Amino acid sequence: MVTRLLLWCAMTLYVNASIQAGEGPEPATSGKLSNASCIDCHSKTDPSVVSDWEASAHSDSTAGKVGPRANCVDCHGNVHAGVAELARKDSRCITCHGGSDAPVNRSYFTSKHGIIFWLEKNDWDWSQPLSQANYRSPGCSYCHMHQGKHNVGKAIITQASITEDKTRVIESMQPVCQDCHSPRYISRLSENGERMLEIGRMKWREATNVIDRVRTEIPEADFQVIEQLSVTMKTHLTNLRLGIAHQSPDYQWWHGQPALDGDLLRIKGEVSRLRRERLIRAGE
Amino acid sequence: MARSGKGNHVQYVWIPVIAALLAVPLGFMYVSWNKAGEGAGLYSRQWQPDAVFSYWNPGEFYRSVDTVQGVFSGEQCVQCHAAVTPGIVKDWRLSRHSTAAPGKKPVYCLSCHGDDHQDLHMPTPDVCAGCHAIQHSQFVDEKRYGFPSHALAMERAVDARHFVDKPKPEVTSCLQCHSVATKCDSCHTRHRFSAAEARRSEACITCHSGPPHPDDETFFASAHGKIYRQEGENWDWSKPLRKGNYKSPTCAYCHMAEGKHQVADKSIWKFGILEINPDTSANEVRRRAWIKVCSDCHEAGWSRDRLEELDTERKRAWRKLYEAEDLIKDLRSEELLYPAAGERPLYPVDVIEKLWPRERIGFYEGQASAFYNVSPIERDYFDMWYFDNLGAYKGAAHGAPNFVTAQHQKMDQALKSIKQQAKALRTAGEQERLYKERVDPSALWKQGEYTEYNKEHN
Repeated sequence: MVTRLLLWCAMTLYVNASIQAGEGPEPATSGKLSNASCIDCHSKTDPSVVSDWEASAHSDSTAGKVGPRANCVDCHGNVHAGVAELARKDSRCITCHGGSDAPVNRSYFTSKHGIIFWLEKNDWDWSQPLSQANYRSPGCSYCHMHQGKHNVGKAIITQASITEDKTRVIESMQPVCQDCHSPRYISRLSENGERMLEIGRMKWREATNVIDRVRTEIPEADFQVIEQLSVTMKTHLTNLRLGIAHQSPDYQWWHGQPALDGDLLRIKGEVSRLRRERLIRAGE
Repeated sequence: MARSGKGNHVQYVWIPVIAALLAVPLGFMYVSWNKAGEGAGLYSRQWQPDAVFSYWNPGEFYRSVDTVQGVFSGEQCVQCHAAVTPGIVKDWRLSRHSTAAPGKKPVYCLSCHGDDHQDLHMPTPDVCAGCHAIQHSQFVDEKRYGFPSHALAMERAVDARHFVDKPKPEVTSCLQCHSVATKCDSCHTRHRFSAAEARRSEACITCHSGPPHPDDETFFASAHGKIYRQEGENWDWSKPLRKGNYKSPTCAYCHMAEGKHQVADKSIWKFGILEINPDTSANEVRRRAWIKVCSDCHEAGWSRDRLEELDTERKRAWRKLYEAEDLIKDLRSEELLYPAAGERPLYPVDVIEKLWPRERIGFYEGQASAFYNVSPIERDYFDMWYFDNLGAYKGAAHGAPNFVTAQHQKMDQALKSIKQQAKALRTAGEQERLYKERVDPSALWKQGEYTEYNKEHN
């Protein structure tokens, strides 16, 4: 009995020790970190994090910035203490993603997820992994980097073209949303969202069809208003998509559907006005 | 002869009396028959719900899943769901439902959802009323104040003509906000159900944001909102909404003073959507109630002045709106709108419109639902009325003077543009009459992918 107890104690100690040892060697925490030094070390300790980042849009180059769009230091800062906590917070994402007034962020911050996040963010333990509903409400990173995966924009599909693509996002969302919601709830909301977006696309296609048909009929000089309305319409279609993705009724509706109705009728209105004017002039 | 003639007349008197006696119950029967369709509300026979409506209006549309069999205890629900959906269990554990007072049992899942997994329900306000009777009775009592109202919100949504007419996935977002009438977690989010959370202004802005009701922007731009945004984080939100407990008011402090759930009981200007008389006896009661709330911090006379400023702003806004509305009504009576009602798609639900096509202009003709399939000048007036004007109202009511100025500038611009368009429409119409030939726009307006889809789907 005593032997067994001793054996159990020894095993417990061994397991604890190996868990601690599993955290790896003490990182090079002193001094300011650079992207190269991060990748140098982490491609050995967490190769999947580095390869996931390389597969993401963050590692692509972009105009006006030397190097990748968002490298390690951009999100994590250059001091090793608290790197994960810092990068998990929404404030880190929205600095690059248009600021808090951009539709991509406002559509989130007016959603119930965003409200709860805003009210409670300072009380949360940000050292928790981005999984298992460790946060009462999901922030940007909880969904877009679920379980700490660095393939931003790939785990949850965000690149679906607003006007054509019919890629189903539901399969990519199910594993994230199910930390809190039932499978039926997730599929009903996602499927409804797909139908809602498709209706927005119908309005877009109806308008585009009108524009294409009259392009030869209306002189280039008279086309400016129509072109401008077409640009606005695309913005409203993006709003609708963001409203669906971030669950903001305000963006689904006021910045989305009725705004698209307005664009469509104004495009038709401008076309019929120009036609009428031309025919009246011809009649003179 | 005279006597028998008089007798005949007396006999005829019964005809209208009997007709009236029949008409009333027949009318009630017709309305209740209409309400018994697949959808909900007055037009329930004219639309079918989208599958997702089960979550926004659970009392009407929720049906349980039948994938899991069995009757479960509270502990069993928690044990299983801690693995299946950990978020809701973690939330519940943080709620007062799970931390029972001494001598009391926790409120487990089954108290609200039932214990039979094949016969689960989504809780409606009636379910919450089982324990929270006072709040629920106040919430229901709000109905007697009429529109605008949280308690009447779902009825208002499903009885709106554009809701009935449009494809249901398109108007799902209407129900998300209007579900404030059909479930309590719009403000007390599940499964925490916190009163403290609902006291914060942010709790309201998922629905109270956007062009027709920028309550968030106007409140945060006000002196009240600025203090709240700067210091609110450190206030004790467990305190009731009562004098002395908060340095600055939040949405709920004024609209739900003392925690009363009749949220819109002091509504004078009716959302800014129509012109009212602010000095009726009923409104005088509401004005006193407002001044009482303001007097928690401000002097009563000063508060009354602020309310009068709101009235002045409203009258100024309505002068502009009526000018635009009258212009468009004139165009309608002179048959100068282009396209006119008969030349564009009809709203499927409107039977009378099929016989007498007529443009809907202004609040009383139901223009709130006529924001699509209308001519640009009508839509411009809709935007002026629904966005510029309602925004100005919110700015004036919440104490954001810069916002009011900006919205009035937008109204001035809209009015100017409407006048220019009206002039152009008049010129074009007169020229057409001269040549006795109308350029018919209906082919362009009645065709198109969405337009045709909407004819068949609502």
